[in-house]
Amino acid sequence: MQPDPWAQWLAFSARFTPGASPSGIAQNASSFAPFADLSERFNAAARAYFDGAANAPAAAAAQSFGDSLRELFSEIQLPWNLSAGTGGAPPMFTPNSPALGASRESQLRAQRMAEAWRRIEEAQRRLQRFGADAVREAAATFAAGLAAAPPQAPSAEALHKLYGTWIDCAEDAYARAAHGEPFCNALADYVNASSEWRKELQAGIEHSAKLLDLPTRSEINTLTQRLMAVEHELRALREQSRPEAAATPQRAPQRVPRKKAKP
Amino acid sequence: MTNNSFSALAALAAATPGAAGCSEREMVRQSGKVKLYRYRPIARPSVSTPLLIVYALVNRPYMMDLQEDRSLIRGLLNEGLDVYLIDWGYPDGADRFTTLADYLDDHLAGCVAHILEAQHLDALNMLGVCQGGVLSLCFSALQPQRIKNLITMVTPVDFHSPADLLSKWARRIDIAAWVGDGNVSGDVLNQLFLSLMPFRLTQQKYVDLLAANPDRAGAENFMRVEQWIFDSPDQAGAAFREFVTWFYQENRLAQNRLEISGRKVDLRTLRVPVLNLIGKRDHLVPPAASLALKGLVGSRDYTALEFDLGHIGMYISARAQHEVPASIAKWLAAR
Repeated sequence: MQPDPWAQWLAFSARFTPGASPSGIAQNASSFAPFADLSERFNAAARAYFDGAANAPAAAAAQSFGDSLRELFSEIQLPWNLSAGTGGAPPMFTPNSPALGASRESQLRAQRMAEAWRRIEEAQRRLQRFGADAVREAAATFAAGLAAAPPQAPSAEALHKLYGTWIDCAEDAYARAAHGEPFCNALADYVNASSEWRKELQAGIEHSAKLLDLPTRSEINTLTQRLMAVEHELRALREQSRPEAAATPQRAPQRVPRKKAKP
Repeated sequence: MTNNSFSALAALAAATPGAAGCSEREMVRQSGKVKLYRYRPIARPSVSTPLLIVYALVNRPYMMDLQEDRSLIRGLLNEGLDVYLIDWGYPDGADRFTTLADYLDDHLAGCVAHILEAQHLDALNMLGVCQGGVLSLCFSALQPQRIKNLITMVTPVDFHSPADLLSKWARRIDIAAWVGDGNVSGDVLNQLFLSLMPFRLTQQKYVDLLAANPDRAGAENFMRVEQWIFDSPDQAGAAFREFVTWFYQENRLAQNRLEISGRKVDLRTLRVPVLNLIGKRDHLVPPAASLALKGLVGSRDYTALEFDLGHIGMYISARAQHEVPASIAKWLAAR
């Protein structure tokens, strides 16, 4: 007797469901929940496709399947959306407002942070659009391929293969976007704005630390650089004292360049 | 829900991968966080000159010796090679100003000097892997008298090849601002690497794993690799900034414009035999990025071997176990 593929997929999806296991194993599987949910929904969409394919033209059923996948994967959390997001710290100051009084430096810093945060969010939105466009393109390609050569029978293997085909389509579409200049620019804008935001945040923390007479990162960096310069000189002296040193090209002892103290 | 339904998760939950290397070895040198290991021989020596493996800074080197049946190092030992490995350690805040010159002139040169002195040799064989291959090329060009044969494995040389997505992304980023005065988080780099193929790397591989319903051994194999992938050291800030700027952004090595501590790194001066091992399906280091080496080195004894494998597959796939160590040993034995 042939196994029921739907039952197999339901069992497969249920493996990831937290709390479903009497032995508590599923608690260890909670990290699988996000993509397990996707698997389950993929299964549902595939079942709808196979049911629909029996009663409708193949192209229409494939199109419907592609549309549901597009919707399903539009929610995918791409890595650049994980570190910061629209739910993060709101801008505290309006950029370009005049900075006045004794706290002028702090106001300017806060304005720069607000501006950097605005750019982070703007870049994230652009990246999300690229992701959504890639999924839409992938769905169209997937549906077209499915309409041209629909699977013969809804076996578990066929479903798994369909999933693999979908991932191939998604990666191909994503790669086309990711290699493009607009995507590269958006990613660079995101990283660069994040760097600026972090730099201003660090400066603010250093300022507070100085007021409390706490050691700052800049001070520790200065000490580290002095220590490294001494180590380099010591190593160079040791090298010079080795008999074979003359025959081996060595770099000149160097001083670690001092960096400007942070504001 | 049957017991079988949970077997895959049970195997994963019970997996105790312990991915820290499987072959017997001895630490023979330590300088700060950097350790040099020598592996115990398990076969009759076939090549008298020792082989030093220089791994990348961005991942941990135990990938070279993950488990008995997935170990490039074990394969090399089985071929009768005398194998050393550098472990760069985990840089911390005190290492933020460590430069590429420090890695090359202090750490790598120190390990090479130790081996040469201990074995009363003038030169050794070097195997550079990925970013470690770039370091090996630089070292070999700067100190060619210390290298007998050079092997590069999944090593980028031309960082501006068309398929190099990482390079395209890196070129527009303000690296100095990103690094600042600190180190670069390994976790952040992992997010970047996952972004290269997000659907495959964050979804499909887990679905495939569970669909395959692995037994305990299969689950442990998977978990070892998983542990390695996400066991990513932070990167010493100064060295990272230099590496991205000089290689990814400015492509200085391929354009013969690289200088380290005032000394030119000219690959044309590299006249020792060179073996270049390439993964045809490598998404991190596209084949074209490695193949460019042929036109850049001065060596007349240059061999490129392409394997139908991906980046990680070059170390741990079953096919790699059969083909890669044997290819290396055969090539070395002929020289």
